[in-house]
Amino acid sequence: MMAMDIFRRIFFGHKEEYWWMKILVPITSIFVALIVGAIFIWSTGRSPVLAYKYLFGASGLVPGPYFKQHFAEMLLSSSMFIATGLAFAIAAKGGLFSIGAEGQFLVGAITAAYFGYAKPFASMPTVLHLTVIFVMVMIAGGIWGAIAGWLKAKMGIHEVITTIMLNWIALYLIEDWLVTGPMKANVETGVSGTPYVSETAKLPIILKGTRLNISILIIIVVAYLTWFLLYRTTFGFEIRAMGYTLIYNMDAPRAAGVSVDARITQTMFVSGAVAALGGAFIILGVLFQFPPVFEGGYGFDGIAVSLIGQNEPLGVFLAGILIGGLRTGATAVQLAHIPKTFPSIIEGLIVAFIALQELIRYLLMKLFVRKRNNTVSGGSDEKAVSGGVAK
Amino acid sequence: MKALELKGITKQFPRVLANDHINLSIEKGEIFSIVGENGAGKSTLMKIVYGLYTPTSGEIYVFGKKVNMKSPHDAIKLKIGMVHQEFMLIPRFTVTENIVLGDEPRKGIVFDFKRAVKEIREISEKFGLKVDPLEKVANLPVGIQQRVEILKILRRGAEILIFDEPTAVLTPEETEDLFKTLRALKKDGKTILFISHKLKEVMEISDRIAVLRRGKLQGVVKKEETNERELARMMVGREVVLEIPRVKVERGPVVLSVRDLAAKDHRGILKLKGVSFDVHAGEIVAIAGVEGNGQMELVNSLIGFTRPVKGKIILNGEEMKLVTPYNVRRKGMAYIPEDRKRRGLVLPFKIRENIIMGQHTLYPFSKGGILNDKVINQFATKQVEEFDIRPRDIYISAGNLSGGNQQKVILAREMAMKHNFLLASQPTRGLDIGAMEFVYKHLIEEKKKGIAILLISLELSEVLGLADRILVMYEGEIVGETVPEKTNEEELGMMMLGIKRNERLVQ
Repeated sequence: MMAMDIFRRIFFGHKEEYWWMKILVPITSIFVALIVGAIFIWSTGRSPVLAYKYLFGASGLVPGPYFKQHFAEMLLSSSMFIATGLAFAIAAKGGLFSIGAEGQFLVGAITAAYFGYAKPFASMPTVLHLTVIFVMVMIAGGIWGAIAGWLKAKMGIHEVITTIMLNWIALYLIEDWLVTGPMKANVETGVSGTPYVSETAKLPIILKGTRLNISILIIIVVAYLTWFLLYRTTFGFEIRAMGYTLIYNMDAPRAAGVSVDARITQTMFVSGAVAALGGAFIILGVLFQFPPVFEGGYGFDGIAVSLIGQNEPLGVFLAGILIGGLRTGATAVQLAHIPKTFPSIIEGLIVAFIALQELIRYLLMKLFVRKRNNTVSGGSDEKAVSGGVAK
Repeated sequence: MKALELKGITKQFPRVLANDHINLSIEKGEIFSIVGENGAGKSTLMKIVYGLYTPTSGEIYVFGKKVNMKSPHDAIKLKIGMVHQEFMLIPRFTVTENIVLGDEPRKGIVFDFKRAVKEIREISEKFGLKVDPLEKVANLPVGIQQRVEILKILRRGAEILIFDEPTAVLTPEETEDLFKTLRALKKDGKTILFISHKLKEVMEISDRIAVLRRGKLQGVVKKEETNERELARMMVGREVVLEIPRVKVERGPVVLSVRDLAAKDHRGILKLKGVSFDVHAGEIVAIAGVEGNGQMELVNSLIGFTRPVKGKIILNGEEMKLVTPYNVRRKGMAYIPEDRKRRGLVLPFKIRENIIMGQHTLYPFSKGGILNDKVINQFATKQVEEFDIRPRDIYISAGNLSGGNQQKVILAREMAMKHNFLLASQPTRGLDIGAMEFVYKHLIEEKKKGIAILLISLELSEVLGLADRILVMYEGEIVGETVPEKTNEEELGMMMLGIKRNERLVQ
């Protein structure tokens, strides 16, 4: 019970009625999605047992052959999913439905690439160089997010529209102009895309013999800081107050003196800055340059990650690990004669069931709460007690 | 003949016993009222009668026949209709379309609009409920919208009509009209169930009155054999002081000055047309008026939600150049909003969070932008105790509290804030007597502390009971100023309708 209480405090920082629902709903969704996925495989005449064995065997989530490699790859991709997931969660907590992590991720990536190879910075020592890069990445991504926030606050343009547009703007600006124009690598080097970043800009490896670098450590710190920001600071207090009221057009935080317009822009800045971190991770830890054709999608996967994680930092972290694992194990499912896109089906199913969470919640409540109520009925009476002065 | 009989109706919600063995029998053709505080179980009981809830135990008889309702559909078949507090109308549809929706007259498979209009004209005439069948509902005043709701259930052949707090949204004139309608319906042999917590209205309209308190039936009384005081006592469970005690406080210096203030509403229509007044320390100035005569724009200008078109707001001797909620609050303004659910509270937030909202950036609740949970909890626990917020659990979401307790959370917050001016905008709206009394007590407390109070109210009894000075607002202007000793409800009512102007003060 004690452990549960501590877990709850870390997870929510708040006492919540049926708080365990927030954990039970995603777990149930994942479980049901795996079962439905198994039915899909079975209906095509293949073995679900074998498929899952290969999938999870190579996911880095459970020990097995080459576990060290899989584990490292899993954490490497998870850190990016967690970054974009946290970005979505921060905005969502503030009542903003930001689809912009994709564009912010790209902006972060191109910024990291530039400050990674640009001359005056390339001669700095690693620690300083990385610090400069990350600061610039977060500022650039933050601004990209803040544009959408500002447009919402000042002009009332819905963030879904602006973030989607900014995604495209970022993509074309980077791929069709920067990478093929001003930031193109020297032709003689035979490199397409941007030049490679200097050695001092590469993220230090933390597990020998693998590609695993400090990005996972950075994102753990960022996830903790996100939780701290949301639940322990006045800024987070205001973001959450806004999140509960903004979509219903309610004015309580504003009437209490919260500058809602400023908070919208700031929340989108923070969200964009965190998403951009993911872009820095992929450049400084995996690709080391911005390639001519960038395989994106991390921003959109971040939405799924955040939804599975119930928009809570710890939840996003765990969901990011899960999705990272599924993606890492993806190639291995081919051994069971199943296309490697199969894990995306699982991911989609999980999100679909999360979207049905009201139903799942209802069913779970029926299953668990009835019994509990019988034991406490006649206890506290929240709604029945009404006003009146005690003598 | 009994129209409706309830035997031992019990409704158990998780953690709440909403109705506890209620026995009622209602005669055909009577107006039967059910009164009780917010959360006493009136609405639950009516939802059971209308088939929205199934009772945990108990039996319902309609016209002598035992029934088992599973949904409102069953209720409609049994000729029971309900006019909800919030109307279920589609604004963009015409009156006719709204009334026939779900049971449209057809010509083959096509909706026969002409016949529908004719039908509406007929029932509208039959019951004396005048409406224009072709008008869009969005263009109708609330009173007429309610009429549309009534016609809707009458068209379905309702014999038992349930009205859930129908006057809550109406102006006094509209209420009068509604009462005329109710009497006409009664004459026609319809049975009416009238839910309210406004005792004055209940005494005016009912034949018999049932009182609920905390889910239990306290008794059924005939109107002739009771009075407001007794009903209030039954409702609250103790003697209630309906009269507000007069407190004399030495008037201090001017705290708020408003000069020639004008403001537009959200649609850009000039609703506040240049008002000027002062509020002194230790004084309650009341603004009386029918809703929609510029009060909202005045409040919005003062709190910084609307930028005034012209005029000055001077708070504590300082002209407020840029009025924002943050600025005015730092300059000493506390605000009890008219709509506590939208403007006062963040409903999913816990009591502990709502009770510091607005002060959360100040020491000791936070330091360097980091919240101090320990101090917040201590403060919340203290305020919950002091303001008698029930239940005494600072971790309960504000949305789970009754209206009275929600208002107490707001009071506990605003009173604790450093202020010398209080803007109380309809502070008792939708509250039951017990909670009303609580609010009055605290307003008087504030006055004793020397706080300047601007009270905006639609309730004349409240204005007359609390105010030291009364300003009457009509169509965005102050048309009269008076003191409670020198006026009465009739005179104020005339001024509020723009019939009589107090020339002495309006040059």
